[in-house]
Amino acid sequence: MRLQILPAVLERIHSQGEAAYPEEGAGLMLGEISQDQRQVMEILTLPNVREDTARHNRYLLSPEDYLKSEAEADSLGLDVLGVFHSHPDHPNQPSEFDRQWAWPNFSYLITSVMMGKAHGSRSWRLTEDRANFIEEEIEIVEQTKD
Amino acid sequence: MTTLKIPSPLRTYTDGQASVQVQGETVADALESLVEQHPDLRQHLFNGQGELRPFVNLYLNSEDIRHLQKLATPIQDEDRLMIVPSIAGGSSLVDHSAIRTNQALIISLSVIAFILNLPWLVLLVALVMAVGTALKLPGFGFVYRWLLKPLKLIRPDLLEDNPEPHRFAQGFGAVVLAIGAITLFAGASIVGWGLVWLVILLAALNLLVGFCVGCAVYYWLGRLEVPGFVQPPPEDTLPGMRPKAKA
Repeated sequence: MRLQILPAVLERIHSQGEAAYPEEGAGLMLGEISQDQRQVMEILTLPNVREDTARHNRYLLSPEDYLKSEAEADSLGLDVLGVFHSHPDHPNQPSEFDRQWAWPNFSYLITSVMMGKAHGSRSWRLTEDRANFIEEEIEIVEQTKD
Repeated sequence: MTTLKIPSPLRTYTDGQASVQVQGETVADALESLVEQHPDLRQHLFNGQGELRPFVNLYLNSEDIRHLQKLATPIQDEDRLMIVPSIAGGSSLVDHSAIRTNQALIISLSVIAFILNLPWLVLLVALVMAVGTALKLPGFGFVYRWLLKPLKLIRPDLLEDNPEPHRFAQGFGAVVLAIGAITLFAGASIVGWGLVWLVILLAALNLLVGFCVGCAVYYWLGRLEVPGFVQPPPEDTLPGMRPKAKA
């Protein structure tokens, strides 16, 4: 299990987390899947629709937003590979809430943003029994294969 | 046969197919037909009680079935049914030390009010709780934030929890105390002090046992799909009980 990502795309994910700080920033990762290899080629940042103060540390993307994103992925010839989000002033490990709401087969890339600065990302996938997340390697590749 | 569209994260369970033909007369039948064909999908669509998970949405011809007849919505052969994900996550931490400080002060001030027969003190406690609810904080939490925490007398107890049910519980307590105070001013002291003691006992149950009756009511209203009560209880915890998951 490995998630390949271009440095420029990872940089955009980090800037988005920093821009959203102290709130949580989130979006979808689009790309290509081949066997157990995944390549992130594009990201879609999405509005955070959770309305109350919980927005500070939670995000929610509505089904309507998801549908639009899947249509956009289709038009680019890409798949929705997973979700990225930031944890403001928290480690880049999935929370209990992340696990309860997780979709199987999605990569969950979490960026820790401490005091407004991105401090690295880790990527996780839900296990088949929904009990845990296991980490997948992030490989920063200079060039995606065409 | 009705066409059911499958979102990309679930397509590994449908042999990569983006849509599956299902049969039945309602949305519930269609889902049953789907999991009969692809049994591995069940645990991702339904929880242990057989209820649809909160992040699974169903759209019938681009209309959310929650706005139709929910799972009982009838379907026709030519209909298009879609499973659409809600995507959510993040960390939500509630500092239970602030909540317990709040309860301890509510209990002690109300007991003092009872012993010294001070209805105005009951009203004051109700006001602090009401202001806290409006500010989305534990009313007496400032004692913890400005005094007990800086002096390191009480350590933070950050638990993964929903803040909304605790606010609801406090707001409910404020209303009962306020009615109690007004009843006392009106001279009905047995009823008035009875209401005050109700709040004292419920706060003590929460402080000493960790069971929040107001939170349980919140989750119960959520199960009845009352608008605004949207947070599902933390998993593996009796609704209303203090969650175990540490940050």
